[in-house]
Amino acid sequence: MTTVATSTVVRRRARAPRYRRDWSRYLLVAVVVILVLIPFAWMVSIAFTPADRAFGSVALVPDNPTLENFRSAINDVGLVRALGNSLLVALAAVVVNCAVAPLAGYAFARLPFPGSRLVFLMIIATTAIPVSVTLIPLFLMTKSFPLAGGNDLFGHGGNGLLDTLPAVTIPHLVGAMNVFLSRQYFLGMPSELAEAARVDGAGELRIFTRVHLPLARPLIAIVAIFSFTGTWDDFLWPLVTTTSSKNYTVQLALVQFNSTGNIRYGALMAGAILITLPVVLVFLANQRSFISGLAEGGSKG
Amino acid sequence: MVVPRALRFAAAAVAFTLLAACSSGGDDNATGAGSGAKHLTVWFPGTDPAESALVKNSLVPEFEKSTGATVDVTYVDYANLSNKLAAAFAAGTAPDVFGHGPAAVADLVVNDRLEPLPVDQLPAADRDDLTSALPGGQVDGKQYLMPLQMQGWLLAYNKDDFKAAGLDPDQPPTTWEGLRDAAKKLTVRDASGRITRSGLLLATDPIGREQSFATLIASAGGSLVDTAAHKSTFDSPQGKQALDYYVSLFNGPDAVATGLGTSFSANPPAQQPLVQGTASITLLAVNAIQKIVAAAPAKHFGVMQPPKFEGADHGAAFGGAGPGLMINADSKAKDLGWKFIQFMIGKDVNQRYVQAFGGLPVRASASASPYVTASPVLTAAVKAAPQFVPNPNVAGWVQARDKMDARLEQALNQKASTADALTSMAADVDDVLKKSQ
Amino acid sequence: MSAAGLVAVPVRRRRRWTRLHWAGLAMAAPAVAYVVVFSLFPVLYGLRISFTRYNPLRRGGPQWTGLENYRDLLHSAEFGRSLLVTGQFVLMVLPATIVIATGLAVLVNRPFRGIGFVRSALYLPNIVSLTAVSMIWLWMYSQHGLFNEVLGAIGLPAQDLLHNENTALAAAAAMRVWKALGSNMVLILAGLQGIPNERYEAATVDGASSWQRFVNVTLPGLRPTLVFVVAMDIIYLAQSFAEIYVLTQGGPLGSTTTVNYLIYTTAFQYNQFGSAAAMAFVLFAFVAGFSLLATRGISGRRG
Repeated sequence: MTTVATSTVVRRRARAPRYRRDWSRYLLVAVVVILVLIPFAWMVSIAFTPADRAFGSVALVPDNPTLENFRSAINDVGLVRALGNSLLVALAAVVVNCAVAPLAGYAFARLPFPGSRLVFLMIIATTAIPVSVTLIPLFLMTKSFPLAGGNDLFGHGGNGLLDTLPAVTIPHLVGAMNVFLSRQYFLGMPSELAEAARVDGAGELRIFTRVHLPLARPLIAIVAIFSFTGTWDDFLWPLVTTTSSKNYTVQLALVQFNSTGNIRYGALMAGAILITLPVVLVFLANQRSFISGLAEGGSKG
Repeated sequence: MVVPRALRFAAAAVAFTLLAACSSGGDDNATGAGSGAKHLTVWFPGTDPAESALVKNSLVPEFEKSTGATVDVTYVDYANLSNKLAAAFAAGTAPDVFGHGPAAVADLVVNDRLEPLPVDQLPAADRDDLTSALPGGQVDGKQYLMPLQMQGWLLAYNKDDFKAAGLDPDQPPTTWEGLRDAAKKLTVRDASGRITRSGLLLATDPIGREQSFATLIASAGGSLVDTAAHKSTFDSPQGKQALDYYVSLFNGPDAVATGLGTSFSANPPAQQPLVQGTASITLLAVNAIQKIVAAAPAKHFGVMQPPKFEGADHGAAFGGAGPGLMINADSKAKDLGWKFIQFMIGKDVNQRYVQAFGGLPVRASASASPYVTASPVLTAAVKAAPQFVPNPNVAGWVQARDKMDARLEQALNQKASTADALTSMAADVDDVLKKSQ
Repeated sequence: MSAAGLVAVPVRRRRRWTRLHWAGLAMAAPAVAYVVVFSLFPVLYGLRISFTRYNPLRRGGPQWTGLENYRDLLHSAEFGRSLLVTGQFVLMVLPATIVIATGLAVLVNRPFRGIGFVRSALYLPNIVSLTAVSMIWLWMYSQHGLFNEVLGAIGLPAQDLLHNENTALAAAAAMRVWKALGSNMVLILAGLQGIPNERYEAATVDGASSWQRFVNVTLPGLRPTLVFVVAMDIIYLAQSFAEIYVLTQGGPLGSTTTVNYLIYTTAFQYNQFGSAAAMAFVLFAFVAGFSLLATRGISGRRG
């Protein structure tokens, strides 16, 4: 707690001078990290425990570790294909979100127009309604998507986008929270830069892409992470929109190990580990750019 | 003021979507049976890996080969079936044939979503063979669900515990009262008086409560609901006797069980109290008992016939028709769907099917098969089958069951007396049943 | 419409659409169009359903019943209780997760060896499949699980936290705190990065202690972020469902039946979509009210 501000002061320097207090900070961080990771230790342990022993007696280090669970996680429920599907769907969500949400957030923060506050509040308000309520309307819309899946221009005749990967992306393409987050972010940015560019006669889109966007790397990283994980974790929507296993996402594949009366703990944990790795990679990749973004952008404030 | 183009576009998009979504009521495909249909979509309930492998890799290809039709099979776990069906029915995209437990049938029938199954077309011998399975799939006398397996709850017990407690492991008690006395001897406590091994453990998790109570009230000679009158019947002397007994197992100085609210019925074998040694007798579904016996070969388990309360005519247990298949009333391939259902309950096919997950066959004749005779558990289950009592097939049952569960929970936790719990339970259930008509 | 617009336009230009207005509208348009079609429309449709009896299994769609669903909710003790439970849950999770996440963000703000690992580790709970994670927590809370092992080791009697009316909600809340820490920490971290160094340097020159710098520089600088985090957390926590579904199924004795759990069962177990939708909009009113209050409180008027 006492090391709080010190850390921030020296952040900008390339190499931080060492403080003795750092030891208490490291210790605190280490303790918290261990506490947070404890449940995962057992997750990993169960993933390596033979199927018939899992949860019978839970030991941190299994007696005779096995890779069998990973093998059945990969083979039994089509996890590889599901990983591919989820990657496609999540990346589509990341691309659209990163393109659209900061743009809108910037507009709401820096270029308000008559009615923009109301529109903005409306966008936020939509997130407070639980998915159970909007599920059926959204499902009907997906079924009536024009000119898809045998539908005519008015959405009749076929099954629209149902049981396709584009349907799975629909609710995740633009996150209202990402728009909110973007607005907050740009509100905190100094406006002098834009004013200067405007005086020079630059167009608004140019001002956004050339002046503000380069300073918004942390924002982009967070929007990317949030849209990726949000899409990756979704269960209910892919459940109702997909029926053929070729379109299953990772969560649908995984839940097959958790069926009523037939829970397969070992395979479930092994599968969970396998489907978590890509997300960890996305996070790691982004949090780098997140830090470097800060090193460049943060100091200009 | 000029309306910006983007806004106009957005407005048009909204208007369009509104139109599209509102006009797709899902009622556009109520056409006839279409006997020539060659394609079938089927949603199977449950995701037992062995079961789905058998259905997808062997049974369905055999059916396709013999009929020249194509069948799309999707497996859906029970926990997720309602969501999928609700959305699909709203949009008119429900499959031709789908599976569910008997509890869901009446609601679908009330809403005209199911095609009656022409069981009278079956040969008389077949109908006889299916006598105990068919009633569980009927609503108002018509067959809507064809069970693919029977289900039943039996008391499984640890013979070694019996021996150690001075009880005869081969002559278990035949009455609930006798069971309680035995359970008293089987219950183990630690130094502080906490129960470390339950003598007689009935399920007390949300669904288990209703199933345990259904078992008890039936073996006291009572029943849950009068399906013709859509009214509850459990607020009766038999209901009181059943609930008093159930509550007394967990409460008071003479309690013989612990772990109120804990769920174990659906756990894997290694986590079952019988296997872990934290209970000596538990009420379990037949296929769960099968798995336990297979998973712990070193222990000696026995299975009891359903006990009765003293003074009742005969013992009884929750059971009867298990999950099965139904035909969507809007299907364009009803004939093919019926063919598929007949295929699934064929003598040979059904036996292979239930064998995959250790279930009970739907046909009485299967009791002579080596699959059944080789297993003491299945033999006991087949013998007990006439005493299995199913849940009532009335619309609104799922909600009524949850209302029952909440009151049973209050009684078990002694938040309400058993008499009060039964009275409020009857009021709650009657209200739901009335509204669901 | 225009009255609300006037509030937002910083420079008082009455009604006339300037080039900047058009530019703002055009930049917001893609997101707005998407949200209108794929979020707002389903929500409005849900609002319509809340005034009807709607069973998706029934043919013929929703039947208009006016305010009946809302009237029924007014008399429903079950719903009233679920609102209270939801409020309790939010209060159990929100302060804990905000305080801990802020502390962590400050701790991992400055680069050090292994920072990537630490940040990822803290974020991990947020991204691991809920199904798997819930299994682990179920086990940790079970009779011979981790918590009881620890209790036993320090000589305390075993507890059945998830099956005790008084502890079940807190037990579910603990898992939620654990799971929500990472995303809150990331957001607050980003907020920390946005605080100009000059302010810290000025404070240091003035001889402020590190605690004073935290109170006088860090916290005010974090305000916009905290407003966002608190608003977002209230919205999401008020919709808590998954952890309840897996850990307690609303029990014991209804002590963990949150509004969204009730909505889910009403909609998908009982097929009463009208009533479920009405619950959602009542919940919405509460959420909107409370997040407005909370954010006003933090930001001191400007939100």
